[in-house]
Amino acid sequence: MTNKSDKYIISIMVDNEPGVLARVVGLFSGRGYNIESLSVSEVDSDKFLSRVTIVTSGTKIIVDQIKAQLNKLIPVHNLIDITQQESFIAKEYILIKIKKNQKNQKKTFDIANKFNASILSDQNNELILEMVGTSLNISKFIKLLRTFGIIELTRSGLVSMPIDSSFIKK
Amino acid sequence: MIKKITGAKLLVECLINEKVDVIFGYPGGAVLPIYDELFKQKKIRHILVRHEQAAVHAAEGYARSTGKIGVVLVTSGPGATNTVTGLTDAMMDSVPIVCISGQVPTHMIGNDAFQEADIVGITRPCTKHNYLVKDVDNLAGAIHSAFFIASNGRPGPVLVDIPKDIQTFRTNYEGKTNTKKISYYSPQVDPNKDSIKFFVEMIGQSEKPIFYVGGGVINSGPKASRLLFELIKKTGFPCTQTLMGLGAFPTSDQQALGMLGMHGTYESNLAMHQCDLMICIGARFDDRITGKVSGFSPKSKKIHIDIDPSSFNKSVNVDLTIQGDIKKVLKEILNLLNKKKMHFQKQKYSNWWKKINKWRKKDCLAYKNSKKLIKPQYALERLNELTKNLCPYITTEVGQHQMWAAQYLTFNKPNHWMTSGGLGTMGYGLPAAMGTQIAHPKSLVIDVAGEASILMNIQEMSTLKQYRLPVKIFILNNHYMGMVRQWQELLHGNRLSESYMESLPDFVKLAESFGAVGLRATQPNDLDLMIKEMIEIKGPVIFDVCVDETENCFPMIPSGATHDQMLLGPNDEFEDGISEDGMVLV
Ligand SMILES: Cc1cc2nc3c(=O)[nH]c(=O)nc-3n(C[C@H](O)[C@H](O)[C@H](O)COP(=O)(O)OP(=O)(O)OC[C@H]3O[C@@H](n4cnc5c(N)ncnc54)[C@H](O)[C@@H]3O)c2cc1C
Ligand SMILES: Cc1ncc(C[n+]2csc(CCOP(=O)(O)OP(=O)(O)O)c2C)c(N)n1
Ligand SMILES: [Mg+2]
Repeated sequence: MTNKSDKYIISIMVDNEPGVLARVVGLFSGRGYNIESLSVSEVDSDKFLSRVTIVTSGTKIIVDQIKAQLNKLIPVHNLIDITQQESFIAKEYILIKIKKNQKNQKKTFDIANKFNASILSDQNNELILEMVGTSLNISKFIKLLRTFGIIELTRSGLVSMPIDSSFIKK
Repeated sequence: MIKKITGAKLLVECLINEKVDVIFGYPGGAVLPIYDELFKQKKIRHILVRHEQAAVHAAEGYARSTGKIGVVLVTSGPGATNTVTGLTDAMMDSVPIVCISGQVPTHMIGNDAFQEADIVGITRPCTKHNYLVKDVDNLAGAIHSAFFIASNGRPGPVLVDIPKDIQTFRTNYEGKTNTKKISYYSPQVDPNKDSIKFFVEMIGQSEKPIFYVGGGVINSGPKASRLLFELIKKTGFPCTQTLMGLGAFPTSDQQALGMLGMHGTYESNLAMHQCDLMICIGARFDDRITGKVSGFSPKSKKIHIDIDPSSFNKSVNVDLTIQGDIKKVLKEILNLLNKKKMHFQKQKYSNWWKKINKWRKKDCLAYKNSKKLIKPQYALERLNELTKNLCPYITTEVGQHQMWAAQYLTFNKPNHWMTSGGLGTMGYGLPAAMGTQIAHPKSLVIDVAGEASILMNIQEMSTLKQYRLPVKIFILNNHYMGMVRQWQELLHGNRLSESYMESLPDFVKLAESFGAVGLRATQPNDLDLMIKEMIEIKGPVIFDVCVDETENCFPMIPSGATHDQMLLGPNDEFEDGISEDGMVLV
């Protein structure tokens, strides 16, 4: 039995009904589980289904319990532990506003290029950049831009999908 | 064409189609249209309680003693918030309840309107599921879904919040089968075949097995108890039962070792500690059972049968899990045993039984009786002796009296024992007895109570009077919150902070003021005659049994200790002292 705490990505398909997010979040807070990131949006407007991606951490025993508890919520149709899949994609989206600096302009563009980021706005000596990437790359990206003075940033939280197995909708 | 009806009328029709014959409730502004519809019909009986908490406990007593769903109806705001303790109780003990609450009209929700409370928000963590119905066209779907969810899979309470305008709007109702459920829910009830094979292999290999059975067997219905009986008889293995599982297997049977856990018997706990195979059926390894988890039955292989996969490996790791409804699982197991013509040679287990019988000889429930003072254990032994032929339904409050009732009464049938196990709610017993008596009007129903607990829902005496419910309240009056005092003696240097019950009412006069009969016994010699008198009285009785105030409940495994560190009596000292870890446990 291992007591190692690992990161897990859990993806659930839920009825898109009022209160469903409160049920999910309340389960985590009520039982003392961690949420490292959470993203949710409707993915099927005919069947009123939303997909929730949660990044959590804990020992295997705790995460098994989290999964079992989530599965018990009535609006949860299906749950997969993406981190248990053979291969998967997990990405995040970030918007970041930095000070425009004449001296560092070239460097900024280099970084943006390197990370495949694009500049969405260039006004009042402020730049807004967007980027999609793994959480690790996003953190690196932020770190590099920090030297120019970050005004604000927002991250979408992880969204994720297994490569082989299909996510069966019920 | 189907005629359109109001939401209130639709609700009542849905209830009738769900075969509801009784609901426990209390009216108020936000449910008046529903009460109006109840007034106009004859199929559903409404029992007017005196506090909404009691409505839920009454519904729990009704549900647990019949296997049916208990139904509650309350108004918005304070009516709804008063149900929270009851709903939490039902959640912890897996009792199927549907609670209908009124709500302010939809356009006023969120405005801090008069008697508005976000009851769906408040009860989210203490219900299995809940709905706020915002469209009258969804009302039938919500009600039928609520009944389905409450009773399928692991049972539990479901709340449906219905704004007042929805009760007056009109819609079509096409009956139960034609109504589309608004939630998707399909719990797994059939076990996996391989797991049954493993089960049979594992029991074949063990030499020191034990069945550890719990409330899930009661939840699964009387058939589950019958199949369990068959399995236990076939194998010849010993069986211990949790507080919630008492009666799932006859406690007077030779193979029954009594309750296990914190106040369980010596033989049960030692057998759990030393077994090589633990077969857990519908129990959930509660902390009252395991004690210190790291020292819990360290050498055994463990099998866990449960309908709820979140019960698996939650506190104790097991070797085989079987997910399914117990009656289905047991049926499959028995089929395979018969097919394989498995026999369980008595001889193989004779050493194990020898050990168990040695532990039994300790007679851990023996107590020193007195000629002058009524010992609570003696009072219950007499109650048991004089009522067991009547097969009474027993409910309890919470405290020492509850544990003594579990230890000294006989439970030979399922659904005859109603107690608050998971939440430990003082004030549960009287309303639960009320609900039980409604379901079984001709039977003897006894609430074994403490003088402190009974005061928590004493207003229900008025309900007993109104419906002429002949519930017998058997108070073991020790003038203390005995269970609290016992912990203070053991863990807090005997400083009895706020656990003495000052200024108690005169229970005899109290009974009389509600039109019931009051009895009081102060001497052991009084008991037999007065118990008989109590049984013979046609109406409700409060029997104030004045017991030894100093008695404590043994055996006891102090918190943070393991099964082999049991205290058997007042003179037992806990060798290691209570650890700091143990001190913070409840
Ligand atoms: C003061 C006090 C002292 C206590 N001391 C003790 C004590 O000494 N010993 C003791 O045993 N208890 C004691 N309790 C009670 C304890 O707190 C727990 O409530 C109790 O032990 C739980 O019982 P259980 O394990 O049978 O589970 P339950 O709470 O009855 O749970 C039932 C289990 O069965 C499953 N289930 C339900 N329906 C089905 C089905 N159809 N098929 C399959 N599985 C199903 C559920 O998922 C659940 O896991 C005490 C309580 C109080 C208030
Ligand atoms: C609603 C509620 N409040 C507090 C407690 C804590 N508690 C557990 S047992 C007990 C004392 C019960 O006293 P009594 O009913 O006289 O029973 P006794 O233990 O004396 O038999 C208390 C206060 C509880 N279980 N429930
Ligand atoms: Mg008392």
